[in-house]
Amino acid sequence: MTATATATPVSPMLTRLAAERATGALLRDHGTLYLVDGRVVHAESPESPGVDVLLTAAGRLPREGWDEAVDRAGALGAVGRFLVDSGRLHDGELEICHLGAVFDAAFFALAPAGGPTRFRYGVGHWFGTVRPVDTGAVERETLRRRELLDSVWPYPAVDRAPVVPRPAAPGQPVGARQRTLLAAADGFRTPADLARLLGRPAFHTFLDVRRLAAAGLVETPYEAPPPPPPPVPAWIGEAVATTPDPDIALLRRLRDALEAAL
Amino acid sequence: MPGIDECLLEAMSLPGARGAWLVDWTSGLALGSAGESPVGDHETTAAESAELARAAAEFESPTADSPASGASAADAVLPEPAAAPVEDLIVTTRAGYHVFRFVETAFDSSVCLHLWLDRSTGNLALARIRLGDLARRLVLG
Repeated sequence: MTATATATPVSPMLTRLAAERATGALLRDHGTLYLVDGRVVHAESPESPGVDVLLTAAGRLPREGWDEAVDRAGALGAVGRFLVDSGRLHDGELEICHLGAVFDAAFFALAPAGGPTRFRYGVGHWFGTVRPVDTGAVERETLRRRELLDSVWPYPAVDRAPVVPRPAAPGQPVGARQRTLLAAADGFRTPADLARLLGRPAFHTFLDVRRLAAAGLVETPYEAPPPPPPPVPAWIGEAVATTPDPDIALLRRLRDALEAAL
Repeated sequence: MPGIDECLLEAMSLPGARGAWLVDWTSGLALGSAGESPVGDHETTAAESAELARAAAEFESPTADSPASGASAADAVLPEPAAAPVEDLIVTTRAGYHVFRFVETAFDSSVCLHLWLDRSTGNLALARIRLGDLARRLVLG
């Protein structure tokens, strides 16, 4: 796995920034990584639920509690620390939740996509530093996650399509977490919608949906059909239409010869 | 109030402890690691232990406190069990013990502590009790 990461770095720029121990924000198409001294301290992506969603969706933290923490500690760039110091969260909870959100957002931020990659030196994130992670670990995990998804069920279309449950076979086991996911799937919500609703990381939901699809418990949408073969060139139609009188006798002899040969 | 590292260090202070991990068993992510690894690299260990833990977490024996286990997924909204049905998982190899303890959080997560003990110097009963205690204190302070 390490060899793969070295051979194909997810982002050459990230490797360089880690080497120069840079501090700032790495902006990519699908998300942003925040670095302090060349280590990843935060990540966010429009595709993945943030720490606030993870904590409030299941009722661990009331929305007002979160808003107050952002109001009071956001300007200082220490919201995470404030949540712990004010007794709203415990250290372990904060670390588990934040790390989950960081690796989740990094998975999308480091997705292979064209588009410019920019780095803004000195930019920090208001959440503050909780548990910095090596860029190498983030890159390796991102690659591992991509491979994991495809090894479970190599149909990326299920990641974006609405989740449509299928009936389980008699006696087919379904885990408790997957049952919760299926119960929330109303045929319209996509895996990303379900992640937000249930307060789970988006990658986890993608992975569970791929596992369910592999088990036949969720519909696998058809991939976009391949482009149709090029139509018969126009001159053939013209040639047929303009040939006035096909030689019936010749065609008969041809048919007989073919039948004899076969 | 221990964080992940303090929790793993405390697990490593148990007699016979060789390695400790905090693993997200849905994704296989290593949230933290301490000590040595049976396969030489902590991330691979975490990914492997996640597979084991996931199989255990999704295992539902037909016990009295999980009446929903026989119902089909089509029954839409099933009441969630109050607590995870499986507390821990113990795997014994010729040279060691692996104890996996599920961590219950008040938000949606899927993490477990994994402790690797030397079979000759480790104390399985003690480790099991202390790991349960650590899993509680990790999230409850």
